[in-house]
Amino acid sequence: MSLTHLNVRGEAHMVDVADKPESRREARASGRITMRPETLALLAEGGLPKGDVLATARIAGIQAAKRTHELIPLCHALALSKVAIDFTLDEVESCVEVTATCRLNGRTGVEMEALTAVSVACLTLYDMCKAVDKDMVIDAIRLDAKTGGKSGDYRRGEGVGGGEAAGETVVTGAEGLIVTGQGRGGQVAVGSRCDIASPCVRVKCLAELRERLGVGELSVPLSDLSRPDVGGLKAALKALDPRFAGLDEGRVMCAVNQVMAGDRTPITDDDEVAFFPPVTGG
Amino acid sequence: MVADPRRCEPSIRVQEAPFDAGAEQRALLAGRTDIGAVVCFTGLVRDFNECPEVTALTLEHYPGMTESALAHIVTEAEGRWALDGVRVIHRIGRLAPGDPIVLVAVASAHRRAAFEACDFIMDYLKTRAPFWKKEHASEGDYWVSERHSDHEDASRWKA
Repeated sequence: MSLTHLNVRGEAHMVDVADKPESRREARASGRITMRPETLALLAEGGLPKGDVLATARIAGIQAAKRTHELIPLCHALALSKVAIDFTLDEVESCVEVTATCRLNGRTGVEMEALTAVSVACLTLYDMCKAVDKDMVIDAIRLDAKTGGKSGDYRRGEGVGGGEAAGETVVTGAEGLIVTGQGRGGQVAVGSRCDIASPCVRVKCLAELRERLGVGELSVPLSDLSRPDVGGLKAALKALDPRFAGLDEGRVMCAVNQVMAGDRTPITDDDEVAFFPPVTGG
Repeated sequence: MVADPRRCEPSIRVQEAPFDAGAEQRALLAGRTDIGAVVCFTGLVRDFNECPEVTALTLEHYPGMTESALAHIVTEAEGRWALDGVRVIHRIGRLAPGDPIVLVAVASAHRRAAFEACDFIMDYLKTRAPFWKKEHASEGDYWVSERHSDHEDASRWKA
């Protein structure tokens, strides 16, 4: 799996979502702020000096969700159709649980909006209560669930297809994240090394080929290769995803560890294999 | 007299920023009186190519492999001709018609070596260095196809 906010040169870029189909997206995130029992009691009674703590934190969370794109550099501005912030006072743990739900019909996920809403609601709770308690701790901010979009549904604790780290194969492309194997939702890794635990090969598709196949980078377990060479890798890719049939269309070059290679060039663990069209520089 | 070997170290750069061919040539020759010839080639973005009205060009490359491929080409040129200095700059990113894309400057004691080595480096760069051009024209964007003539040009240098 690679980071969709990095381009082929490793620079940050905003993902173009113009051609992604619209779908109903929903995300739920949660977090908590732990405080002294006396503080929680004051909060519940409305006895804190800054007034209605929960109402203020709720408005802060909603406002923050709407302004996520101003805070997180590569987030798109979204017209959210719903933002809901809920609080649960937990006297046993002496904390306030904050939950945010965001929804829209659109082309990008809304998990960043939900996470931002929870974060800012927690910060506002801190601000509202800090006059009486400076020991409060904000933690466990996380995505609980998301639905809609190409990367599939996600629910914390149940990875897509079981979530076994070894053997997963994750394909990313121009359209965002496409999980083709037993990928575990929520996992990310940088493209510069294998992102699966077992011996694997890093595959890059460059330039016109990347756009034609809709695949930028992926990791393939070495065990998927019938032969440990480029020809074996091509066969494994075609078995993995029909889009890789495009490797046989037109002239496609290959480099192993950045040196030009052919179908018989051997491949070992953590090799970088790039496929690309004939070069046209100069 | 043996020249300082550091002066002969080829300079290879892949960059988004524009370059000044005159400044590069002056830097290549600075402090040198043993150089008898310098050939400095600059490639520019044309406003016509596969489409008549090219409005811009985006150059993608394969970081890491690009630099090593260019270094390999320059080393091969240095093996074929007696060269006193080489500079290669290739730009990446979005460029407009008229912008310089590529610079190859070659210095030698004699003109023939400088002319031929510069020609050789450009021919090999066009067929071996991992750069790809996407042209933006009024009709839309498209990736530039390889040209048979570039391969014919490069095959001239086969020993």
